[in-house]
Amino acid sequence: MFLEYSISYKAQNSYENWVNDAHWQFLIIPEENDTQEFISVEFNNSINAVNQHSINGLGFKTIRVHPKQKFKNISFNASFKLIKKEVNPFGFVPSPDIEKDYERIHDLSFKVDFEPFLRTTYLTSLPKNNERLFVFNEEKSIFDNLQNLNYFVFKHLYFKTDVTDVETTLDEIIEKRHGVCQDFTHLFCALARQNSVPARYVSGYLHQGNGYFGDSQMHAWAETYIPNLGWVGFDPTNNLLTSIDHIKVAHGKDYKDCSPLRGVLYTSGENKTIHSVKVFSQQQ
Amino acid sequence: MVNTENAIFSSYKRDPNLNDEIFDKNGNVIEIYKKLLKLYGDHSINDYVNLNTKAKSSFFNQGITFQVYSEKSTQEKIFPFDLFPRIIAPEDWEIIESGSLQRSKALNLFLWDLYHEKKIIKQGIVPMELISSSINYLHQMMDIDPPGGIYNHISGTDIIKHTDGKYYVLEDNIRCPSGVSYVICNRTALKRALFGVFNHYQAHTVTNYAENLLDLLESVKPKGVDVPNCVVITPGMYNSAFYEHSYLAKTMGVELVEGRDLFVENDFVYMKTIQGPQKVDVIYRRIDDFFIDPLEFKPDSAIGVPGLFAAYKKGNVTLANAPGTGVADDKAVYTYMPQIIKYYLDEEPILNNVHTYHCSRPDELKYVLEHIPELVIKPVDEAGGYGISIGNRLSKSEIEQVKKQVGQNPRKYVAQPIMSLSVHPTYIDDTESFEQRHVDLRTYTILGKDKEFVLKGGLTRVALQKGNLIVNSSQGGGSKDTWVLKK
Repeated sequence: MFLEYSISYKAQNSYENWVNDAHWQFLIIPEENDTQEFISVEFNNSINAVNQHSINGLGFKTIRVHPKQKFKNISFNASFKLIKKEVNPFGFVPSPDIEKDYERIHDLSFKVDFEPFLRTTYLTSLPKNNERLFVFNEEKSIFDNLQNLNYFVFKHLYFKTDVTDVETTLDEIIEKRHGVCQDFTHLFCALARQNSVPARYVSGYLHQGNGYFGDSQMHAWAETYIPNLGWVGFDPTNNLLTSIDHIKVAHGKDYKDCSPLRGVLYTSGENKTIHSVKVFSQQQ
Repeated sequence: MVNTENAIFSSYKRDPNLNDEIFDKNGNVIEIYKKLLKLYGDHSINDYVNLNTKAKSSFFNQGITFQVYSEKSTQEKIFPFDLFPRIIAPEDWEIIESGSLQRSKALNLFLWDLYHEKKIIKQGIVPMELISSSINYLHQMMDIDPPGGIYNHISGTDIIKHTDGKYYVLEDNIRCPSGVSYVICNRTALKRALFGVFNHYQAHTVTNYAENLLDLLESVKPKGVDVPNCVVITPGMYNSAFYEHSYLAKTMGVELVEGRDLFVENDFVYMKTIQGPQKVDVIYRRIDDFFIDPLEFKPDSAIGVPGLFAAYKKGNVTLANAPGTGVADDKAVYTYMPQIIKYYLDEEPILNNVHTYHCSRPDELKYVLEHIPELVIKPVDEAGGYGISIGNRLSKSEIEQVKKQVGQNPRKYVAQPIMSLSVHPTYIDDTESFEQRHVDLRTYTILGKDKEFVLKGGLTRVALQKGNLIVNSSQGGGSKDTWVLKK
């Protein structure tokens, strides 16, 4: 099955005082990959500054804006269209030899190749007393364990907005047991990595429709590397395997590699940003 | 006392336990210094006091100054210059030069490997922790092929002569090694003060550094560029090495810029000029990795250029040194240098490594904690001599303090036996006489596309406090003109 998506992304920024110089970098364009094709991008800003297309350090597409005039208000509107292909997340042949898969992930070459997604970052660092919060049962396949981990994270935290921010670390999240999609994802990644499975933080859009958490904002989930299967997506906020509803933008070690909007501004005083995301689909 | 009728050295106290570079064990003057000592002996100590005062004010008037960050006042200081030069014999220099070059080349190949296949780790020759626990390992650099395959275009190798008469490397500096301008200024200053002595010695010139640096920068121009436009970027006039940045730009004949003078458009870098934007192709950057681009690294960096890293990643501009070199001059990497040299070059190391204990290894940590008074404890990721503890100079409570620090964060520390740096007669203001002071040597190696060059000279740094072993300028060190004699 195919779905045709249109996504709209809006950011409205207002500042108390004049902004004399500003640089923004948007990491919001859907990635082109096996399941996402024919991507079209429209992007504009309210003060008609030039929009430049570039890449970030990990090679994902970005849009940069550097207005040449001062302003107090600026808004950005992006709309994307793409075709998303449905892939059955269970449509794979179960691993013939579970032991071999575990041998593989403990192999030095494997660890070296996936080092970025096995390392502990500031945002994926588990508190010492919680390193064994979720331990794999090696009698079951890696995929089964990850599914259990997905469920564990989903159950361990409850979804609550405005209690955490992009700097909140895992010790607080584990203690208070609440957060939003990036917190669920950070916890999932940390525990997968703790069990030697490479996990990367993914940012993207979620097609709401089904009442999932994570609509009206950008969403976050994780991809883990499983021997013989490759990268498999898990959405711990919704206890789902990623599906046709998940439209990927970028991945990285944690939120910091994927933040949708980075800005460097020269101004003083208060500022306010309002983001909104809408995802529409039409079956093909 | 030493066997000399020389007036200015008559009161020179020689500690027989130290390796004095100009007197042998019996107090006789070493051959290459004989003529120099005679020439200096024509002057009285009063002449010295005068010359020294003049040299100092000349440095200050030229603005050859630096700043020490830990001090409250940000007053500029001159890097104290000593009028008595250090001489390196041709046969010794051969070892130093080939050894410096060997290390720089090995480190360059190591960096290429770390940012591509990582064979050296997969084959178990160096541990994975060197990258996985290093904040200086930049994933953004993966699979980038810098022009000419060069990462550490400019390397500074810190070398000492131990009591056994052999040369040892203390550290490799391959981020933004500084100090080369002092090498050149020291030569100029000495020529001005005591021109006559140069008539009696055939020393290699050091003023060819800038032309070699420019050659290097031009050799690593981006693809498709004919005549590259090179610039030097500085964090600004408050940086401790600002004089050097301006000096190098001036002597190379290129622009000195700050971040705000550059901008990126469609992934090309431009310099603002009164005639309009001018494309920039090669940047000799004296800004640390995390500050070069606020959109990619530290968002609060006010000294970088937004979008610079994307331009670099697309191959439209060359940065020297390449981002991410810091992973290889970590002091934990240092200890693997013999293996790294062997692996990439299939050669034995020409310069020795000081034995190093890794506090991350439990058995070595145990040894370190039990032997702190005999060791130098260094944090693995600090430069400029900050955070170093020298065991035999610590009080009992300080030892306990160090033990606690190391115990809490073992990965952060390495330890080495206390090396006895050689000493050199140095004029001391307070006593108005020459005294023994410890010295080291920083060499400058340049690697480019089909280009290699080691500056025949280098920065001899002097620890001005009696008995002190740390020679960094930020720790109150001075320097000497360093002569490499022609064969």
